Amino acid sequence: MAKAREIDGLDPQASYAEAAARIVSVRAAELAEHAENVLDTSDIEGVHDMRVASRRLRAALEIFEPCFPQTDFRATLAAVKELADSLGGRRERDLTLAALEGFAERARAPDRPGIASLVKRTRDEQAKANEDLAPCVEPERLEALGRRIDLLVQAARA
Amino acid sequence: MKARRVKKLDPQRSLAENAARIVGVRLGELRSLAPQALEPEERSAQHDMRIAAKRLRYILEATELCFGDEAPRARRRARDLQDILGELHDCDVMLPRVAEHIETLRAADVDAVCEQAGSAPDLDPRVAVAAPNRALYRGLEVLGIYFEARRDVLHRRFREFWAEQERKGTWDRLERGAKTTLREARARRRALAAEVE
Repeated sequence: MAKAREIDGLDPQASYAEAAARIVSVRAAELAEHAENVLDTSDIEGVHDMRVASRRLRAALEIFEPCFPQTDFRATLAAVKELADSLGGRRERDLTLAALEGFAERARAPDRPGIASLVKRTRDEQAKANEDLAPCVEPERLEALGRRIDLLVQAARA
Repeated sequence: MKARRVKKLDPQRSLAENAARIVGVRLGELRSLAPQALEPEERSAQHDMRIAAKRLRYILEATELCFGDEAPRARRRARDLQDILGELHDCDVMLPRVAEHIETLRAADVDAVCEQAGSAPDLDPRVAVAAPNRALYRGLEVLGIYFEARRDVLHRRFREFWAEQERKGTWDRLERGAKTTLREARARRRALAAEVE
């Protein structure tokens, strides 16, 4: 799992609102950095890293909720949740496939066809989850989310 | 699981004071779920406890510099707890998935066998023993047994891990650290206010 980036200049005595601005902007940048290649099902780490980044961003927004204007906050949090859920849908299938394939390798030959039938079904679900994820990770959509978060950060500092 | 509301958060007060309040509530949330989650069949409480461990981990990840050495340790233990409960949850997701797949195959086999029977007044067993998915069930049954047994093993690991952290005082130390931070932050704020007056 990707380690969370250190937040430069964070001071326990600085205001909660200033910390909100610093932490949320770093977590948003991390999310954007992990957006490449997430739709590639041959490399499951890409979607995992972006999912972790989305969860950290969501957690940061929730931790600092009182520092943001409520209407903008709620809309932004909903957008981050939607993205996180779509990434989670793909990740769940990736993990299921890894578990099934790992088990199949150790299974006795007569037991393998049954496991293979569930692998096939899960692959179909993975493809569907990837289709659902695709619009959520379009560059324009992620840029729009980034702009929303910038506005929250500015409001926290105001 | 909806997070418990943290009272008295104030954007203008220090990060340390606010973080201490949040950590106190999140830690209380986690510990309050333990008695139920330690019961093997309490899947919902185990799931909620995983979410609570995740919330505690994330608040510590963002604000552990406000607390003593006990905070990074507690954050790592919260992550370990989240991992164990996550693996337990994976079994809970897999078990109905396997059962549902078996059910789908069985339904397809019943349809196929009925179709083979045509207009016969009774069903010849030779038609049923040639059901198209007959070779698939045994592997899926073994898979179901694996996830059920793995769940038991993981739950035992979870109980041992939780007992070990209670014995070592991981959460007690974090709670004391958060209380100390809150007390000091309040005192600093009041001293500053008195200076201004």
